Amino acid sequence: MRVGVEVGGTFTDLVAVEGGRVVVTKVPSTPKSPDVGAFAALTASGIDLARIEDLGHGSTVATNAVLERKGATVAFIATAGFRDLLFMQRHDRRNIYDLFYAKPAPPVRRKDCFEAVERLRADGSVETPLDEAKVRAELLPALRDGGYRAIAICLLNAYADPVHEKRLAALIGEALPGVLVTCSHQVAREFREFERASTTLLSAYVQPVIDGYLHRFEHKLADAGFKGRFTVMQSNGGRLPAEAMRQSAITALYSGPAAGVVGATRQAARSGYKDLITFDMGGTSTDVCLVQDGRPSLAAETEIDGLPIRTPVLDIVSVGAGGGSLAWVDDGGMLRVGPQSAGADPGPACYGRGGTEPATTDAHIVIGTIRPGAFLGGRMQLDGEAARRAFEPLAERFSLSIEQAAASALQLADANIVRAIQLVSTERGRDPRDYALVPFGGAGPLHAARIAEELGISTIVVPPNAGVISAYGLVASDYTKFDAVTRKMKLDETAAREAGRIFAEMRARLAAQFADMKLPGTLDYTHTLDMRFVGQAFEVGVEIPANRLGSLDAAYLAELFADAHHRTFMHGANLDRPVEIVTLRVGATLPIGGAPKLDREKLEARAPEQAQIFHGEAWLDCARHTAEALNAGQEIAGPAVIEGYTATTWVPPGWTAGLDAADNLILRRSP
Amino acid sequence: MSQLGPIDYAVISQALIAGAREMGVKLIRSAYSTILREARDGSAGLMDRDGNTVAQAELIPMQLGPIGETLRACLRRHPVETLKEGDFLINNDPFEGGQHIPDVFIFTPIFVSGRVVGFGASVAHHLDLGGGAPGLNIHASDVYQEGLRFPPSRYSFEHDWNGGSFERLVTANVRVPDLTIGDFNAQFAANAIGVMRVKQLCERYGTDKVETAMREMQDYSERRVRAAIAQAPKGTYYGEDAVDDDGLSDEPLVVKAKVTIAEDSVEIDFEGTCAQVKRNLNCPYSSTLSAALSCVKSVLTSPDIPYNEGMARPITIKVPYGSLLNPRPPAPVRARMIPAYRVFNAVMKALAQALPDKVIATGFDCTTAFCLSHLGEKGYSVYLEIFGGGYGASKDADGCDAVDSPLSNCSNAPVESLDIDYGFFRIVGYELAPDSFGLGARRGGAGFTRRCEILHDDVQLAIYSDRFRLAPEGLLGGEPGQRGYCRVFRADGSVEELKSKAALDLGKGDIVEMFVGGGAGFGRVVERPDAMIERDLADGLLTRDPRSARKLAAE
Repeated sequence: MRVGVEVGGTFTDLVAVEGGRVVVTKVPSTPKSPDVGAFAALTASGIDLARIEDLGHGSTVATNAVLERKGATVAFIATAGFRDLLFMQRHDRRNIYDLFYAKPAPPVRRKDCFEAVERLRADGSVETPLDEAKVRAELLPALRDGGYRAIAICLLNAYADPVHEKRLAALIGEALPGVLVTCSHQVAREFREFERASTTLLSAYVQPVIDGYLHRFEHKLADAGFKGRFTVMQSNGGRLPAEAMRQSAITALYSGPAAGVVGATRQAARSGYKDLITFDMGGTSTDVCLVQDGRPSLAAETEIDGLPIRTPVLDIVSVGAGGGSLAWVDDGGMLRVGPQSAGADPGPACYGRGGTEPATTDAHIVIGTIRPGAFLGGRMQLDGEAARRAFEPLAERFSLSIEQAAASALQLADANIVRAIQLVSTERGRDPRDYALVPFGGAGPLHAARIAEELGISTIVVPPNAGVISAYGLVASDYTKFDAVTRKMKLDETAAREAGRIFAEMRARLAAQFADMKLPGTLDYTHTLDMRFVGQAFEVGVEIPANRLGSLDAAYLAELFADAHHRTFMHGANLDRPVEIVTLRVGATLPIGGAPKLDREKLEARAPEQAQIFHGEAWLDCARHTAEALNAGQEIAGPAVIEGYTATTWVPPGWTAGLDAADNLILRRSP
Repeated sequence: MSQLGPIDYAVISQALIAGAREMGVKLIRSAYSTILREARDGSAGLMDRDGNTVAQAELIPMQLGPIGETLRACLRRHPVETLKEGDFLINNDPFEGGQHIPDVFIFTPIFVSGRVVGFGASVAHHLDLGGGAPGLNIHASDVYQEGLRFPPSRYSFEHDWNGGSFERLVTANVRVPDLTIGDFNAQFAANAIGVMRVKQLCERYGTDKVETAMREMQDYSERRVRAAIAQAPKGTYYGEDAVDDDGLSDEPLVVKAKVTIAEDSVEIDFEGTCAQVKRNLNCPYSSTLSAALSCVKSVLTSPDIPYNEGMARPITIKVPYGSLLNPRPPAPVRARMIPAYRVFNAVMKALAQALPDKVIATGFDCTTAFCLSHLGEKGYSVYLEIFGGGYGASKDADGCDAVDSPLSNCSNAPVESLDIDYGFFRIVGYELAPDSFGLGARRGGAGFTRRCEILHDDVQLAIYSDRFRLAPEGLLGGEPGQRGYCRVFRADGSVEELKSKAALDLGKGDIVEMFVGGGAGFGRVVERPDAMIERDLADGLLTRDPRSARKLAAE
């Protein structure tokens, strides 16, 4: 049996898959100790832990440790002259007209930042040797006195050669056994010192927290008779065994959204769809990601609380548009939706917990797509009148009917999501019309068709159990690790050969790491070269097809690069400028083989009910179906609502919907 | 809301803002020179067909403010009806809507069904456009010595660029043509992206709706600014600040602002400001306008009000011709950011009397341009960086430490990228400067030092900076911030102190230490909470306890 347990902000979701049987469980999260909620879900599901072979886990522990500043007491060590690296940052401001601007605050005090006398050159050669005498005489005593749990080291140009970082870590390890030491070359072997330092610091900061959490979790599992493999989700969309994760804590940030993308990708693939735009619409935000040929796009960097993290993550763009997002009018008279959210408490006005401002969930009730008596499978009774009352002021302000006001708020929420999709598609040189839209999360399938229409997308794939896709992604994801090395080389035949050699070296290193993790099997590799025109500062990542790896030549690489550059920037297709390789990346994936099937619960067929939905400018008569009672092959013409246990789908006029053999609900726009 | 529904308006206006932002991102990310790609000294925006700013990428406030002025100067020469598809407009003329020579503005008309609906606009600070010295000629006594001047003109992209005559003219007149032409191409590409996005919007919603939305966005910003002005106490307020000197004499260059807040409009009059000067510290009219508008916007309105032409409508600016802030040609203007900051400071000091809770004390507020160049066998190598300093403190918050100053927003270049790109110097120190800020109930932001070691002989240093003589003043009892300096530690052990506007030849082994000071304090230091003092003491940002002096005085 494979089990995924995903700890979210509000709910902890569990998906258990065995053969054709799927068990779905939702329990409230326990933010103070997330493992309590996770075990509550295991208990509620009634699963015998001894029968679980594969337990995938995702949590917000790492993210919360940073956001709530609950990581370890950490010290930071830089090259002499640069102890303030983390405070200098990049000398810019995020909001140019804010007089009271404050920089993102790193989770370390200036008094806890130290220096080591040493300097490497850009090529890794030694300019100033590490002053070990000074380290012993001054630095080590200071570190001992500070009582630090973790130490982060980021020395200049260490990406080119880690010799000084390694030596310094060894000296600290001898003097202060038991203190966790994280070096920059271990977490991000790329140039740009502030970004690398920030990554190193945050990694050191969360590592003891993750370490403690996983340790506790493993013990509880063992006590309950668990004998299978315990794995943890990463932000790059792959898993790692818990043991390995304890050395690579920074990749645990944002694992929830990544798990959702993987789950959606896997489930859509079962229907043959591989070029996708996934969007996960939850309570406060929507996460969007583009998937090319079954592989979600990666970004080289992300950030948390304004601090950069240089590690490959799924390229997910988040916008403040969810079920709880509020509609409001700003002081210039413009109607807006989000990013403010009613949250879970008081929640939208229809929750009847004292909320009076209109949220998108209220709008759905007003226009009829959500029935007050059928929310979350009828487990939660909503107040339809409160939802209407909440929209009265907006209706009055713009001389609209209440239905029109609600529909306007939904259109604006859709527009926010459309912009997020454009950010991951058109702005990256991809045409959204070439992709299928895969909505999930509680609210996704209600908004998908209108968003598809805005973008000219004609196919929508709604996975079964769309409300628990992230938990499914945990058991459907592969094992993944990335490696990156910055090695600047002007692109010529020597460099092309050298790239091939370095790639081979990196593959060997990754293979050894998988062996260390006791994960046998044949690895799939991806190879990416970050290149730029000589003189530029930002690189464009170019993936090298596997069949060309054996015969890399400069002209071919230059052509790949020029295409990618032109796609994004609309210039640079002509190759009259020299090109250089900056960073080489290899991703290694161990496929789990035979992704578990996520099936829909089946109920007996029943006749649809009649319903009224406000669409465009009028109320439409339409049918309301029960998702679990649909038959494969049954075609439903819009307008129709398909109500499911964890999510409801809206099929507007001009669209048809049908369940396919993989249990996905496929929506198609009539030509 | 005219014939446009609230939804169409919200969707189109947000899409225009998103389009401008995308232009900005791509301008920076595909640029070549360090000043554009690392320091991000460039901006982009979308304009309507009359030359008004509609939406902008929030990059450099100084460049963004008067883009409309710059475009309208072009349209006076080349009326919009006469433009053809494939044309572009270019302008960097300080005396016809431009700012200073290095900031080149390029405008690409957006044609939909044969009619211009607007313009994609971009501006980049170019590393070198010829002139009397690589990157920065601090000795220029007129604008001709500051580099190539493009008066408001029209060219065809196909005929004149891409190997055409105009491109060859530029190439032949600049020292680092690969970088300069590359940066021009990044500008053209950014404009092309803006053009494409607006065309897509017109296809989707119709040209009428898009043009209506463009107008409505300006009205919207105007309404919000007028609403904010209506809340402010009416009256006439005065503020004054000064540039250290003109680099020749020791005479301060005084900037005076009279700010009148009326019912729903503001007038700013710079009468009484000193006359224009012989060196590059003159501030063209567009720059003066931009600095004053940025200050009013920052103080009066919340940061989410989109900056566009409508913002400027309630604000009238009067600047005497021939003064430091509206010079006659051919005055040199390269360092115009420095007097522009005194405009910002003088207006802020006037507004402080009306709205003390909404202002900040004076910061180091200066653009320090730091330029090293070296002529090697392969041609020129030019390094130019912009340094800010510490922000002024406010009623509730300490000023921001070590950040670019309010009218600009340049990033630093990563030390590791400089190590890769330049062989003739290396950065050996980059640190916050303890005690560099003015204390107060809230302290100013800390300044910083950046130290460079010179690795070859025959390296030229050129700087312009300010506040080496006149410190930023505190507000409501706050203390002044520290003054800056630039010091050269020669390989032979001697030390040279530079003036704030200076050039010097350097040799191997010399170390240059550039220090930019902190911001001034707000309120009296006796009101500073103990915890804040203790934190700065522990962190080494404060080296002596201000309370010990207080205790001694009490005893």
